[in-house]
Amino acid sequence: MSRPGRDDSPDRLYTLTGGRSRSGSDAFDLVTLVVTESEPAPGMQSEHAAILRMCRFPTAVVEIAAELGLPVTVVRILLADLHDTGRISARHPRSAHRLPDPDILEQVLVGLRNL
Amino acid sequence: MTASPSPLRPSALALLITAVVTGAFCTVAVVSAEPGSRAVLGWSLGIAAALLSAGAYAVTHSVLRNRVLRERLAALNTQISAQEANAARRSADAVRLDAAQAAERKALIAAHAAELRRAESSRAAALAATANAAGRMQALATGMLADLRDMEHRHADEDVLGDLLHLDHRTAQAGRLADSIAVLTGARSGRRWARPIVMESILRGAMGRIGGYQRVRLHSTSDAAVAGHAAEGVMHALAELLDNAANFSPPTAEVHVYVEEVPAGVIITVEDSGLVMSDVQLRRAEQAVSGRLSDLAGLSGTRLGLAVVGRLARKHGLTVSFRPSARGGTGALMLLPHELVTHVAATPAAAPLAPALDVPQDLLPPESATAESRTPAAAAPPAAIPASASASASASAQAPAPDGEPEATHEPAAEPASGTGTARPAPTVRTSGTSTGTGTSTSTSTSTSSETSGEFPQFGESGLPKRKRGRALAAAHPEGPDAPAAPARATTAASDAAARFSSFRQAVRANSPTPEGNSE
Repeated sequence: MSRPGRDDSPDRLYTLTGGRSRSGSDAFDLVTLVVTESEPAPGMQSEHAAILRMCRFPTAVVEIAAELGLPVTVVRILLADLHDTGRISARHPRSAHRLPDPDILEQVLVGLRNL
Repeated sequence: MTASPSPLRPSALALLITAVVTGAFCTVAVVSAEPGSRAVLGWSLGIAAALLSAGAYAVTHSVLRNRVLRERLAALNTQISAQEANAARRSADAVRLDAAQAAERKALIAAHAAELRRAESSRAAALAATANAAGRMQALATGMLADLRDMEHRHADEDVLGDLLHLDHRTAQAGRLADSIAVLTGARSGRRWARPIVMESILRGAMGRIGGYQRVRLHSTSDAAVAGHAAEGVMHALAELLDNAANFSPPTAEVHVYVEEVPAGVIITVEDSGLVMSDVQLRRAEQAVSGRLSDLAGLSGTRLGLAVVGRLARKHGLTVSFRPSARGGTGALMLLPHELVTHVAATPAAAPLAPALDVPQDLLPPESATAESRTPAAAAPPAAIPASASASASASAQAPAPDGEPEATHEPAAEPASGTGTARPAPTVRTSGTSTGTGTSTSTSTSTSSETSGEFPQFGESGLPKRKRGRALAAAHPEGPDAPAAPARATTAASDAAARFSSFRQAVRANSPTPEGNSE
């Protein structure tokens, strides 16, 4: 992970994305869950391979970004590349617009007060 | 007797006078003599007169001749002495001239020597100033690159990021130029990497420093790494070769880079489809990159690249050669010697996945946990347990920093996951292990600082992952949008929920302050 004021890697970010700074697709937001659809192939860009390994189970975009130590925008470009070649699939969390049961919230509140 | 040059004329005059006088005397004597003895007297007097005349002539002539000869002798003597004086003067002149010439020569030599010394010292001063300036520019460029990377991480906006990437690229090129000047002036090399740099990063680092990096295609499956002390030089030399290849091929043609491991080391081939170099050019290029010419005099103003490659090649023991490329252009081969190549056990990206949860982690001492987590990914079964998602995720999260920050973990005592985390961010991760023990609700947990067993999370009895020290990430999203997804698959085990729940555990960067919170 990068520490401020230090540059730990000779890779410049534009070499990772081939100079692109926008993914050109809206398929990925911060919480989109990404699942690998195929195994990493030899000769693949190491970030792609890392994403494929990381996302064998659903993983959120932000988490991928944090673990690769890359900005989310760059990760979205990488993910878009993989998505375009069908190596990953993206799912939005289904419950993003479904609030939890008010009863549960109430119970949580009570529980918190009892702490 | 006839008239003759100067001694003869007075002699003839004396002869004439003598003859006239004696003739007159003889005539008088003969006339006055008796006629009987007149004939005899006449004859004898005539002979005597003739003899007298001849004697007078001879005397006069010899005297005069003597005088003439003496005069000539004197003249000759004068002439000789004049010539001697002349010669003496000349030789004196010559000696004086020689001395003057020698003095002049000496002065000239001294002047030249002084000139040479001055030129030498001014050359050295200029070189030192250039090296110094180049070093400072290197430092500036390096600092700017770090700043830019920092900003790239901070600004998520695509437009801003695009601009930052553009600046990044420009700065990297400026840095390469500063590096080139530093190499040519013999300044210390720019950066040193503390760890081996994997080949992919070497190639990308090299290609990021040239203008036409988008035309470069990398073909590398090598997991070799270049030793840290040489990585910068290799990247720089490779960048110069790539720049040559990109500049001397059509603007749309691609430049291909291949990496091949051979017994002698690693060969990096840069192939373009541009101009084919003639034999003379090839020879000249080979000579330039051989590093035998350490003189700056051979530099042309615009083509620094090959000279830089030559310097770097000599410094690091690289071998660079050129040959016609099968793609129709020129191929440049760079052989990294064996000493520079290492093989990292696992490249950061190919970090081993944790062997999921087939190890009873609660029983593992931290050391064995560490050892276990470093086993190759092949050893990991295709983890069927959903919770391994988080395990593998955190494993690869750990991996990108192989020089890694030791991360303190709790002893895997069976504590409830609720209270084990510290809310403290870990900005100084290297020393955090000793200090983050505070703030835990269960301060009895022994926080060993040195082990790096943070590869997979510990699970408490609730089935939820326990946060590691310094990883207060889940706290930032205690009810992330991910979490409610768990009820949808409520039929799965609690560990599944845990896995999904931990999705955001790492999501916040380590140095962003996050409030403490319970993950339960």
